Order: sequence, then C-alpha cells, then structure tokens
Amino acid sequence: MSRVSRPDPARAELDRRVRAFIRERTADDFREDEAGFEALALELFAFQYAHCPPYARFCDARGRAPGALRSWRDVPAAPTGAFKELALRSFPPERTCKVFRTSGTTGERRGALYLDTLSLYEASLVPTFERFVLPDLAEGARARFLVLGPSPGEAADSSLAHMLGAMVARRGAPESRFFVRGGELDTGALARALAAAEESEEPVVLCGAAFAFVHALDALAARGAAFRLRASARAMETGGYKGRSRELGAEALYRAIEDRFGVSPARIVNEYGMTELASQFYDAVLREPYDVALREPAAPRRKLGPPWARVRILDPETGEDCAEGEAGLVAVVDLANTGSVIAVQTADLARRVGGGFELLGRAPGADARGCSLAADETLGAPG
Amino acid sequence: MSADAASHADAAALRRTLARLREAGRALAARPPGAVLDALGAVLDAWRDAGSPPRRALAEGLPRSAGFSRAVVERGLEIGLGPFSGARLRALYERELGPPDAGRGAAASPRRLATGFPSTAVLLAGAIPSASLATLLAPLALRSAVLARPASRDPLTAPILRESLARVDAELGAAVAAVAFDARSDDALDAFLAADCVVATGSDATVARVAARVAPPRRFVGYGHRVSFAALGPEAAFGAALAAACEALALDVALWDQLGCLSPVSLVVAGDASAARRAAEALAGALERLEGELPRGEVPRDAAARTAHERAEAEMRAAARGDVALFAGRGFTVVAERDARLDRPAPLHRFVRVHPVEDAAGVVAALAPYGPHLAAVGLAGFGGAAPDLARALAGLGASRLCPLGTLQAPPLDWCHDNEGVLLPLARLTDFEPS
Repeated sequence: MSRVSRPDPARAELDRRVRAFIRERTADDFREDEAGFEALALELFAFQYAHCPPYARFCDARGRAPGALRSWRDVPAAPTGAFKELALRSFPPERTCKVFRTSGTTGERRGALYLDTLSLYEASLVPTFERFVLPDLAEGARARFLVLGPSPGEAADSSLAHMLGAMVARRGAPESRFFVRGGELDTGALARALAAAEESEEPVVLCGAAFAFVHALDALAARGAAFRLRASARAMETGGYKGRSRELGAEALYRAIEDRFGVSPARIVNEYGMTELASQFYDAVLREPYDVALREPAAPRRKLGPPWARVRILDPETGEDCAEGEAGLVAVVDLANTGSVIAVQTADLARRVGGGFELLGRAPGADARGCSLAADETLGAPG
Repeated sequence: MSADAASHADAAALRRTLARLREAGRALAARPPGAVLDALGAVLDAWRDAGSPPRRALAEGLPRSAGFSRAVVERGLEIGLGPFSGARLRALYERELGPPDAGRGAAASPRRLATGFPSTAVLLAGAIPSASLATLLAPLALRSAVLARPASRDPLTAPILRESLARVDAELGAAVAAVAFDARSDDALDAFLAADCVVATGSDATVARVAARVAPPRRFVGYGHRVSFAALGPEAAFGAALAAACEALALDVALWDQLGCLSPVSLVVAGDASAARRAAEALAGALERLEGELPRGEVPRDAAARTAHERAEAEMRAAARGDVALFAGRGFTVVAERDARLDRPAPLHRFVRVHPVEDAAGVVAALAPYGPHLAAVGLAGFGGAAPDLARALAGLGASRLCPLGTLQAPPLDWCHDNEGVLLPLARLTDFEPS
C-alpha cells in the first residue's frame, strides 16, 4: 500500500501566505506590494531550492543559493524547455494530485507541471480572469461561456481546459457549454448556442485557443452561419496554432471573429499563459479606453497580470532587463507556483509597454529546426 | 555594378512584365540551346572571380540585407561557387537532357526533345546567393524567361544576375526580371503565378499555398523545408581524425551562419556518450577558432531568445542530471547530448547538438524521422561501412551524401529534392522518326 506523505508544514504556511497575498492584492485593486512580493519570492525560492534537487543544482551552477540573493530578480529562472526533461516539483512525487502537460503531437516530448494542490492555482486564475475578461460584470453575476474546446473532464491534462472549467464553475450561467468532444468541434451545437445567445440578454464569453477559433470560423463559414452577438459579449483567445489549423495574424483573426460572431476587436482579449505557470496575463482592452475610429485601443495593446506574478523582459544576449520598448525574452516570477519553481524563462519575445508588455511572438515548438526557409515568411511582406 | 533591389510592382505591372518576358522567352527559344548555354556559362565563369563586380556587389550588400558578416559572404561565395562553371552547366544539360544542339543542322536527331516554358516565375527564399543563382539559372538554361521574386533577406542575387547577363548577352538580360510585390495581395500573387511554369522555394506551408494557386496545364515545381545533418563514424572518433572532421564540420556550420538547407543542425556520433562529448568539445573548439576568421553575423532577436532559452535548458539539464555538456562561447553553442533524440529545438545561428548512436545503423535510425525533409548528410569516419550507410540514408530520402567540409559546396548538378535540376522544368517530347 502506498503511503502519501503529510504536507510539509513550511510549505503549507507558505501557501497560506501566498493565498493571503492574492486576497489582499485582489481586494486592493491589483496594486503592487513590492516589499510583500519580494519577501515571499525569496522565501519561496529558499523553500524550492531545498525541496527541488534538480533546480537546486541549477542554482548552484549559477552561484545563486539562498542567502546570496538580494532581490526577486536574482531568482534563477528555469527555462520552459526544462519542464519537458525534468520533474520540477518541490514536493514528494506521491503527493502529486494533478499534472498539466503542454500540447504536442504523438511522440513529441511534452512539458509537465506537477501540482500537489489546485487551490493556489485556482486562487490565482479566478481573480485575474475576472479582472481582465469580466471587468464589466457585477460581482457574482454569471455569463454564458461558450468554450471552443474540451471540458476539463475530457482533457484532464490541459491547463487551459482546467482554467476555463474553473471559470465556468464559478461564473458560468447554466447555458455555458464546451463544444469539443472526442477531439471534434460540435459545429451544430455551437451554431444553435450562438443563435440562442443572440436572443439572450446574458453576457457571452466566447473563448478558446486561437486555432479553435479558426476551426470554428471555418466550420461556421462552411454552413453559411454568421451571428451578431450583443454588445456585452466578449471573446478570449489564447495560444498559438502549432500546426493545428491555418494560421491567422491577430488582426485577421479579430476581423474574422467580428465578421462571424459580431464581437468587436475592442472586446477581444488575448490571454498569455503557459502550462508551466499558475498565473496568466491578459490584454487590458476591456479595462482601457478604446479608440473607435482607429478600431484599436487608444494605446498599444498591452498585457497585464496579477501583482503576484511579475514579468521581466530580458536581453537574450546579456540577461539584463531590456529598456522600455526594446524586444527581449519573457521571464516570469509567479508566486502561485509554490509546488514547482516560481521563476520561469520562456523563449517568447515581448517588449515592455507602459507598465505592461506587448507579446511580439511565441517561440515555435520542437519542429523549429532545419533551414531558415521554415521561418521565412516568403509570402508575407513585400519581398 | 550596382546592387539595386528588385523593383516594386502591383498586379498590373506584374502582368505587363510577364507579357514582356514571354516575348523575350520566345526570342530566347528561337536561339540554339548551345549558344544560350555558352552565354550563361560565360556569366558563371565570371562569377567565379572574387574580384568580379557581381561578387563585390554581393559582398557589399548581403551583410546589410541578410545580416551575415562580410567574411562569411566572401568565403561562402568562394566555396559555394567553386563547383559552378560554364563547363559544368553544359555537362549538367547533357547529362539530363542530352546534347544541347542535337537535331539542329548536321547534328543527329535526338529521340527526346527538351524545351523550356516561355516563362518561369521563381519565388526565392532564404539568403544563400549561390542557391538562388542555381535556381535562377535552371530555367534560363532551358531558354525560359524568368520572373523572379527575390527573398527579403537576399534582394540582390536576382537583379545582379540580370545585370551580369545583360552585359554578356542583351537578349538573355532582357529575359530576366526581378520584382518585389506584396504577396498578401491575391491579385499580385496571381499575376506573378500566371507564368507558364512556377518554381517556389520556401516553407512547406508557402509551397503548399502556391501550389494550390497553380492549376494545370501550368507546371509547378516546389522546393519546401529541408534539413541536413552530419554523422561521424568510429574512424574519426579520436585524435587527428576527430580534429580534422570537426574542423571541416565547423566550416559547414559557420558558413551562412547555419541558415541554409545544407547547414547541419545536429551531429550524430557512432559511439558512446563520451565519444559524443569528445566530438562536441572538438567542434566547439573549431567553431571558436573560426569565429575570428568568419564572425557570426547579426542574430535576430527572436533567434537570440531561442538560443538563450536552449542554452539555459542545456545548462539546467547539465547541472541537474549531469547527462549533457554545454560548450558555448561568443557566436556558437554546442550541446553534447546523451541520447539520440533529435527533436529538441534547433535555434540555428551556429547552434549544434551532438548525439551518440551505437553504430551506422543507429545513424539511420536517428535520422529516419526526418526522412521526408532530409537534404544532405555530411559523413566522416565510416570507412568500409560508408557504402551501406549511404544506401540506407538514400533510402530515407537524403539527396546528398558528402564529406564533412563540403556541405556548402553542392555541385551544380546536385539532385536536390531527389530529382533532376533541369528535368522538372523541361517539357519533353519523344520524337519517333518515321
């Protein structure tokens, strides 16, 4: 009989403090608390250094042991690729209650986030989603979630499915639905739900991965179906395409969403999240002024996140912070990642814009190999 | 010689240019094939001279457009154009299509006649000028006029070739046009693709998109995504043989900053993990020495981000498991892996992973997943096992097997994409005399 170890009291205390920090920052309108963040980040780092041996050896190789760090900025960031190779967990394996995996094709190595509790994960995602996707809904009000993806039950290892499932459970109206079953989009059901939503006063949240939107757009176009959702509707799209559909640039995708669903680009939110993190970042379009004439936000679209997750934009050559507007790679320190490692470095490119950041490109997957033709937009801009 | 970029065109301008080129193509087709080959050969021979105006213009302009260092452009052209000559062009023609002037005048009538299309549209990609040159010359050798869309990172080769041709042979010069246009415009793209034959190079997605727009009876020839590797056998596992092989491989990697389809992305070593590590260390040393002579050029920010990420990932695995070794310096990264999984990201720009495999059969097994996209495999140290290995790699789909150090110097008649060079662009007619 396997024996599940008792939770580490030090870890339980850290989790309790992070949850309290999330509650306080949420109640305080997402204002930063530099000192509080710093203290928790350094304590979490020390805990993870002590409990995640592969990470500790990485930190040692960089000469960054606890006690040697002065700032949360000094916490060594684990590259997202390492989640494909190593089990980066700061708890005993037998306490694992959930594993989220990155998307990938058959045979391809997939990154994994091991969790021993979902409570912090959800404590982080819910207020952030509410702030950036549902800012106009009264507290406790429900919206009709039309999810262009599988339910958490159907895609148990998908962090996106879990996130949307958590939001449907918390803020979803009874008519909320997941429209992918057995890997197939139920176009008929989606069309019926959209038609019903057109007639309803209930706010609609149309959400899913970008490739799922493309599939839905193509499938509905094939049926000649188009909808005019009410002005209260919003869409949330996320992620890249990874070869799962034809690729559309954001502008073309948003135009197509507007044409097919009647949701204006002013109400389309791009989410930036990753399996390796508990927290997410969102376009702030629903919280910021929108220039109707320009059909764009008054300022460049920028992404914001919760005050318990900080983004750094780093010069890939020097590892130093980039200047405002300069492109660099994204590194995140996420206090909600208590069971794994709080500092994660991606290969995604972004630039800092007015307190937030603008995502310039997500790193391609493992198929990014071979000659530069693969990256050459031969049919893109004027050649 | 000026290195003017291609002219910008809209759909109407493209249609006018194509109409003019078709006329030029007809004039070209009326000439004896051998005479056209002679003129093209004269141009090729002129390009072999490092001091020639075309070579100087490319050395001047490509660092700006493609980000290569000037030394890389100069050495890449020296090595890449080494196998190109007028004589070899004629030999290529004769090998694939027979004697060029057979059936004309007193020459014997051939059983099979080859002619080109009146016009060929060539969609170029990448930044390797010798590759673009070969792609542009092929339809011209068949006396087909060429409408070329240069790649954004090499806007020079096509207009420079046009100018070179015009100096040698005005009619040939008139049969080439280099145009830039916004291919996001369906009208412009369709006007460009209205040529009688279309050659497209690019990613698989690009080639597929173009192919879908070129309906029969027009000819479509697509060259999609390709990847190359290097393999080291037991006879190059130690000492001087290892050092020589890695010096040669370093040159293959450094030229064009590993951005060509003939640039090896990974090295597989027949031997254990220590053999792979030795090879990785030797390769890193060679790349470090080359950095002074052939400095790496500019690295776009996204590629730098991928490199930084992959270095950090290797660093973490090295520290956590001790099963990989990272050798990185200014301008290069070499990662000695402990397994034969070649599916880890390859950021290019002189980033090489080295994998151990048991033996020659292990090389084949490791490369098998890349068969459909396999271009070349550079080989060293397989001794008597080389012929069997070559047959197995050919079976996977490799179109070129060559010694390390020669990957960037494909012969003019390299059957890239496993087919001929001129044959795919030719119209063949069987002649059965009564």
